[in-house]
Amino acid sequence: MRASWFLVAGGLIVAAPLLAQSATSVAIPGEATAQGDVAVTIYQNGQSLVQDTRKVTLPGGRHKQDFPDVSAQIRAETVTLTGPGIGIVEQNFDYDLLTPAKLMEKAVGQTITLVRTNPATGAENRVRAKVLAANGGVVLQIGDTIEVLRDDGLPVRVIFDKVPPNLRARPTLSVTLESKGGTVPATLTYLTPGLGWTTDYVTLFDDAKQTIDVQGWVTLTNNTGTDYTNADVLLVAGNPNNGGGRRNWQTPWNGSTETIDEAGTESNERERLGDYYLYPLGERTTISNAQQKQVSFLDVKAAPARSTYEFNNGWLATNDAASASSVLKFSTSRAGGLGDQLPAGTMRVYMRDKRGDPQFIGESGIEATPMGSAMSIRTGEAFDVKVKTVVAERTRVNNRRWKTRMVYELTNARNNPITVDLGQNGLWGDVKITEQSLEGKRVSADRVEWSVPVPANGKATLTATFDSRY
Amino acid sequence: MLHFDPLRQSLARLRPPRASCGRILVLLTLLPSPAFAQSITTSAEPEAVSLTVYRAPERGERPIDKNWPSGYALVTETRTVTIPAGESLIRFEGVAEGMFPESAIVTGLPKGVREKNRDARLLSPSGLVDAYLKREVTLTRTSKATGQTREQKAVITAGPYGGVILQTEEGYEALHCTGLSDRMRYGGVPENLSAKPTLSVITQSDSAVTVKLTLTYMASGFDWQANYVAQVKGPEDGAPAPATGKEKVDIFAWLTLANGGNQSFLNANTMAIAGEPNRERRGAQARPTGGPLNLTCWPMQRTHQVLYNLGYDPYLYAPPPPPAYVAPMAAYMEADAEAVVVTGSRMKNAAMAPVAVVVAEQEDLGDLKLYRVPEPVTVNAKGQKQVAMIVKPGASLDRIYSASVNDNYGDGGESYPTAILLRGENRKDKGLGVPMPSGQVLVYEDSRYGPLMAGQASLKDRAVGDEVEMLVGTSSDVRYKVTPLAESKSKRTFRIELSNARNEPVNVEVEFPFELNGKPKGIAKVDGIPTWKVTLPANGEATLNYAVKLR
Repeated sequence: MRASWFLVAGGLIVAAPLLAQSATSVAIPGEATAQGDVAVTIYQNGQSLVQDTRKVTLPGGRHKQDFPDVSAQIRAETVTLTGPGIGIVEQNFDYDLLTPAKLMEKAVGQTITLVRTNPATGAENRVRAKVLAANGGVVLQIGDTIEVLRDDGLPVRVIFDKVPPNLRARPTLSVTLESKGGTVPATLTYLTPGLGWTTDYVTLFDDAKQTIDVQGWVTLTNNTGTDYTNADVLLVAGNPNNGGGRRNWQTPWNGSTETIDEAGTESNERERLGDYYLYPLGERTTISNAQQKQVSFLDVKAAPARSTYEFNNGWLATNDAASASSVLKFSTSRAGGLGDQLPAGTMRVYMRDKRGDPQFIGESGIEATPMGSAMSIRTGEAFDVKVKTVVAERTRVNNRRWKTRMVYELTNARNNPITVDLGQNGLWGDVKITEQSLEGKRVSADRVEWSVPVPANGKATLTATFDSRY
Repeated sequence: MLHFDPLRQSLARLRPPRASCGRILVLLTLLPSPAFAQSITTSAEPEAVSLTVYRAPERGERPIDKNWPSGYALVTETRTVTIPAGESLIRFEGVAEGMFPESAIVTGLPKGVREKNRDARLLSPSGLVDAYLKREVTLTRTSKATGQTREQKAVITAGPYGGVILQTEEGYEALHCTGLSDRMRYGGVPENLSAKPTLSVITQSDSAVTVKLTLTYMASGFDWQANYVAQVKGPEDGAPAPATGKEKVDIFAWLTLANGGNQSFLNANTMAIAGEPNRERRGAQARPTGGPLNLTCWPMQRTHQVLYNLGYDPYLYAPPPPPAYVAPMAAYMEADAEAVVVTGSRMKNAAMAPVAVVVAEQEDLGDLKLYRVPEPVTVNAKGQKQVAMIVKPGASLDRIYSASVNDNYGDGGESYPTAILLRGENRKDKGLGVPMPSGQVLVYEDSRYGPLMAGQASLKDRAVGDEVEMLVGTSSDVRYKVTPLAESKSKRTFRIELSNARNEPVNVEVEFPFELNGKPKGIAKVDGIPTWKVTLPANGEATLNYAVKLR
């Protein structure tokens, strides 16, 4: 029952190392990345921290250094550059991109060459033209006369003498720095969106032994438009704030997944960043753009688990044989549980069919769960376990109190005895239970719970009488 | 070839019988005409410029919109122009295109400015047709079969709105409804059309002089904010553990300045203003005229033609991401390698803030704060620039786990994570004590793998002495759960349970934004809100019962 991080991407999606090899071998010279030693820290909220240590050769004194091959979605305001002996003067992020429209706009007032091609003969005729304006159409001065470029729709090539300065092919990050000169390692740090990870748990439930095998998988997705070559990858599980102020708290209004029955208070040796847990990938890996990569991080065998049923009834609600929920209960404690924290994700539950093949029986989202917690996973509705609720009696006792008698009929079409956790909500603090056929537990002022045993292929009836204001 | 002066003609058209009326004369002086002996001087670019950027008033704590920053700037330019004797018109080029013309001030002219104009009639295909209405143009017709061109005179009878009708020797034709290749040529540029909206002034001088003048204006398309880097320092090796929740934080801030326009400012004396000067709505502005020529013909669909419209640009939207890959059961595999690699790029206790050699200087400007970049810098067109503005290593902040409960009755019983806050006071003795303009904060914390981002907070303008609070994120390890216990006519009783799965003590603050019944032990009012401050032991728990007063 040991959880461990391991590294095997296993050729799931990353597959085809051979293909990757051949792809690099035909790489065009000069396409080598300018990235250096790259460390990528990926968060669950869609942000990633890139730390890129490049060897840069600097002349002494003040120097403007360009940094190509950063994320195409770089958040330029988050950039910092540090390195031995490097002092920062200023940072610039220029995104005035070289496009045909921009080229023409910046050519206003300059002279360009037009090459007109005779549509019949193909003969070329060159003229020089001065660009007068480019407002929804390019107005040219050719000799003494004025005309609009390609007004007649005939082929005309426009040749510019030069590309204007400050127009770039890509948004460009540059840092003006002061140094003593020489080759130094400079670390560029920035945040980028477009790189994220999610967690999927594959849980195999053994009904006979009442145990679960759980594997946790991490799925990495890169939509940044940039490859991170041979990167040192670290995953951070947790919920860092995404920029809001105090009143934008993500808790508690983002809702609970209602999977934690009892929050745990255990801790283990897992690496931490403040309140978040760190999952390093054991080996360097290349995260290519538009790639999805899966790695396993949790592998627990035969942890105790219990399948049970749950049904919640609202105040005065009648149900005509509604299905109870199938619930899988287990713990994340070191003793008798998964023995680890669980990053937020989706837990899919499988069971083996008669032939021994695993089949999917349901899934549930789980929130980040501390170690030592008691958990309940609601996998779906039970076909064979039904609850019928009837308001059997409702009488006014006096002008302040009502008497309500509820009858709950539980049926079990399975060939094994079961227990249904039946909850009655809506009790508001002052509802009293005057009579019940089975001792229940008042878990809160609003709710009472009974654990009702139902025999195999049988049924059970529970009655309860409430004394209430309404 | 027929030759004519379009300006003379347009003047003739415009000039009403009472041509000597002063008001109309003023209008006409814009159109250069020998009768007025006005000369045109063009000032292409400034020699020196200073730029003061103000923040977008309504942006709050949201980040700058890089593509169209919604703040503004005050631009002061020094330009040298040579003006001849008599009346002259000086055109200013190379100004920010977001200029508010009503704010422009020109000083330094010997006899001052008689008139200031901004013209937004643009030289464009439709502007040309408009200017040449009822006048002659040359049509060049190219035969696609032979490549031969044929020139023909034509008069524009109607246009440019809804198409162009031309009168030729053969009759009337609609431009570009022929399926042939025709193009129009014009005899000259109407001088009242300009390539870009242009500011010009009219001035007078007794003699030809070269003057240094100052042009000051406000312009939109600029913005700035502070970008903070707050690095929570890990404990030094061997140092005693600090008191619970006491953190040392290195605070650094960039002054981030964005120019969304197409005009660069070379070697500008650059400043930024924090605070909120009042701004009023601008009056109606003259909209630029001109643009592409929209030619509509008579209906031209042929029998076999069916209108086909894709309705969207298939390249505009990326395909949806592939569905999450479900690890197949067969992928269960044995492995237990537990490898941890620490590389050079992850350095413990490395500093996240850079070493700044240029730091913006802060001074007070009335009730505003002015930040001055100490040396001239170039603010590029469509560029974002960052210069250091605050360097405060070692500030003292408290780490607090915070929760705010509600009194909803039904949804109790769920376990919720707490919010992680860093809180302190902007005071010198706490390591701060400088005005802190609003902006985003990146919080870094130390880990075994070096400092890593722990959250992104935002900060409002904080004066010296104000409380500074940053929401770092939420903690899944420090949690709370509220269970309703009982209700009577006057109160509702609840139990709150706190749990700590961290192996160190934490400080928790729970706010009860209600009126509580009695005075539960441990609860005190903070800013009017009953607050329970408690230190949870490592891997520990705490429980409190409280009652909310009902009306």
